[in-house]
Amino acid sequence: MLIEYLPGETLLHHLDVRTKMLGFLGFIIISFLFQDPKYQLLLVSLTGLLAFWIKIPLQKIWGMMIPLIPIFISIILITGFTFAPERFEHVSSQTILFYALPGERLGATVGGFMMGSTFIFRLFSMMIASSVLILTTSIDDFTQFFQKMKMPVEVSMMLTTAIRFIPTLDKKRRQILEAQRARGTKFNEKGIIGSIRSYIPIMVPLFINSIMMANSLSMAMLNRGYGLTRTWTSMREIAFAPRDYWVMSFIVLLITLSFFVRFRLQLGVL
Amino acid sequence: METLENEKCQASAICIKNLSYRYPNAVEPSLKNISLDVEKGKFILIMGSTGAGKTTLSLCLNGLIPQLLEGKLTGRVSVAGKDVGKTAVQSLSKVLGLVLQDPETQIIGRTVEEDTSFGPRNFLVPLEEIKQRVNQILEKVRLQGYNDRLSEELSGGEKQRLAIAGVLVMEPEILVLDEPTSELDPAGRSEIYTTLADLRRKKDLTIILVEHSSEELIYKADEVVVLNQGELVWRGVPSELFRNLPLLRQWGIKPLPVTQIGWDFYEKGWITLAEIPLDIPSAEGLIRELLPKYGHWQGHLQGLAQRQVQVPVPGQGFGSEQRKDGLLQQELHLSKKEIAVQVRDLNYQYNSDQTALRGINLMVEAGDFVALIGQNGAGKTTLAKHFNGLLKPTSGEVIIGGMNTLKYDTSDLSKTVGYVFQNPDHQIFSATVEKELEFGLKNAGFKGKEIKERVEQVLQYTGLERYRSVHPFSLGKGERQMIAVASILVLNPKVLIIDEPTTGSDWTGVQTMMALIRKLHTAGTTIIMISHDMDLVAQYAKRVIVLKDGGVLLDGTPKSVFSNEQILLDSAIVPPQLCRLSFQLEDIFGPEPLIESSEFAAMFESREQSGCL
Repeated sequence: MLIEYLPGETLLHHLDVRTKMLGFLGFIIISFLFQDPKYQLLLVSLTGLLAFWIKIPLQKIWGMMIPLIPIFISIILITGFTFAPERFEHVSSQTILFYALPGERLGATVGGFMMGSTFIFRLFSMMIASSVLILTTSIDDFTQFFQKMKMPVEVSMMLTTAIRFIPTLDKKRRQILEAQRARGTKFNEKGIIGSIRSYIPIMVPLFINSIMMANSLSMAMLNRGYGLTRTWTSMREIAFAPRDYWVMSFIVLLITLSFFVRFRLQLGVL
Repeated sequence: METLENEKCQASAICIKNLSYRYPNAVEPSLKNISLDVEKGKFILIMGSTGAGKTTLSLCLNGLIPQLLEGKLTGRVSVAGKDVGKTAVQSLSKVLGLVLQDPETQIIGRTVEEDTSFGPRNFLVPLEEIKQRVNQILEKVRLQGYNDRLSEELSGGEKQRLAIAGVLVMEPEILVLDEPTSELDPAGRSEIYTTLADLRRKKDLTIILVEHSSEELIYKADEVVVLNQGELVWRGVPSELFRNLPLLRQWGIKPLPVTQIGWDFYEKGWITLAEIPLDIPSAEGLIRELLPKYGHWQGHLQGLAQRQVQVPVPGQGFGSEQRKDGLLQQELHLSKKEIAVQVRDLNYQYNSDQTALRGINLMVEAGDFVALIGQNGAGKTTLAKHFNGLLKPTSGEVIIGGMNTLKYDTSDLSKTVGYVFQNPDHQIFSATVEKELEFGLKNAGFKGKEIKERVEQVLQYTGLERYRSVHPFSLGKGERQMIAVASILVLNPKVLIIDEPTTGSDWTGVQTMMALIRKLHTAGTTIIMISHDMDLVAQYAKRVIVLKDGGVLLDGTPKSVFSNEQILLDSAIVPPQLCRLSFQLEDIFGPEPLIESSEFAAMFESREQSGCL
């Protein structure tokens, strides 16, 4: 999973979480402004540069991408065939390459394929951008952000507890698996029903154990005053540094520029 | 009158008046008409068998009953002058801190500091003060400097101390601990006791401790309260309770081994009740005093002279040559008998490159009763998991009943080797006890009638018949543990591995379980038991293997192993109390330890028969 914080000393790590969130939001807006895959490719390379900067573990990214390849191909095919020529503004995009069915039905448009590429590039850049965000921001920063956004304490509480219990539940899962294997459970039964059936002895104890743990956790939380007030003491006050103001102005500038390009110059549409 | 009583309640730390409570859907009440006053600054021990109402009582003290758990509650509880029924649990936590059994579910934060600060943060304590308090409390539970450590990576004892810190940081006047050591190993347990002793010394804290084990606590507690089936049946000084063996038996509390000897003397009329020893020094004194008077003195000495010849030199079996010799002899000897488990040059390495087992050579003959002991992390469980193929050797081989574990899957080996894990809740998933037992048989490919017969047989054997169509999770921990054993026994394994069969059970539960294991052993099953309870090991095992840092440290009969006191102490094993007693009496009894109270009694018997009394 790509949710662990990657410690580092880059500017991205030092930026305030709110600045980074603004940047992420700005990135999403810009990405949805443009339909042209060329512009999306530019965004992919920009986020790629950021990823390179913080030294993202590339192998992990590849590991995530490979299973998605069939989906990418089907996206291109579907958009290629289903987007009618009338939906595109440019004549070049309206060109029909060929028909899949006789009688001039289900035509593949140039614009459709380009749209498909846009979707894929957008997916790419989003994945990279969110990874960059998560890897450079600690959990504490996120909970701080939720609090600053006036979200209820429960939200950040839920987040930290969930993360705290991932290793615990994983340990439970392993113990249950071993206990059932010692009773001769086979996990290579054939067919869908067979494989589901062989996981019942794992899933049922896992659920029961989680419920029991949740019960005692709720007691432990009450024991320690949780829920007495609707808020709690922040452990760390986050504050903007000059660099945050610089970066934020840069982000706003970029967004304005993108709007100018898109709506004044009418560029980046298909 | 009432106001007078109220005033009395104001002065004491805890004041319970006619408290009764019944859980929702339960037929019998769990607490019956309990009245209890606890003075400030006292250390009270609450004892009793499983289901006596100890946990229920502690939940009543901080208001979780009736505020979180519903049910029928009558009577009054007030804590430090606050009425528990009318004060929110959260506000009470400032006055009374409750620590529960399982440390795992009491830790909320990812890091030690985050977890400890959780309580004060809820009370909106300013940041600076929180930091100061956290450091102070961490020092008190001896976790100073752990602030940024991940809570997941702590040991069991450290986790439970963190749980105590999380409660103490709210500066309560009363600390209630509900079996805080039941999930811990002896090292973790002594860490908790030392911490509690520290706390008592440093602060005027009232401590209520619910606990099964007793040896360490007799002199620490001011008072014992005994609960039995929801009723408060006894209250008084610990020493008085522990000298009264019949009472302890009646309430299912484990007696101290040395008092067992003392009680024999008392029954013979040699000493008064108050003279029954509670610790090793007083038992030693008593035996020295009584032996010349009543002991089977002369004959005993002669017997000793003979015995001494056979006693192995302590430390034997350490030199590699000697060990090889021993192994060779063992092999020759074993060739006549069937070999159940054979381990050759076993090495095992976890993925993280951490070596868990190194160079283990072992042979267990069929029908033996072996105990694997050693500190946490010594490799006991890792070794045992090799016996049924859950782990495969990195190098070397393990042969079970002629099958090399490298070539067979766990599901094949499970018909020969049964493995009962520590926590029964990790394997129970069926709606009835009967179905739970059938599962293993179905996996092994048995059909209709055979399954029925075997389940029937095992249900009778384990005494679970009456629970046949009951949901396993509606039963107590002891019964669930029994179901886990039964679900392995249906497969009729030749070798039975049991990992900590008695953790968290009360004394009655321990005895039932051990009686079953002994019955299996007598019937010819090879038993391999992992345990931290040295009293059980000494009493039941025929052979003891001590593991340390992934290697075999000692291997022999319980007597020869426990006579190496110093070596055992180095790997944090404390020999059973009676063994330690006989070390003290070495000049009389010789170097070979006695491990059962009947052996001590035997020293006194002949003279008695000859009519000297």
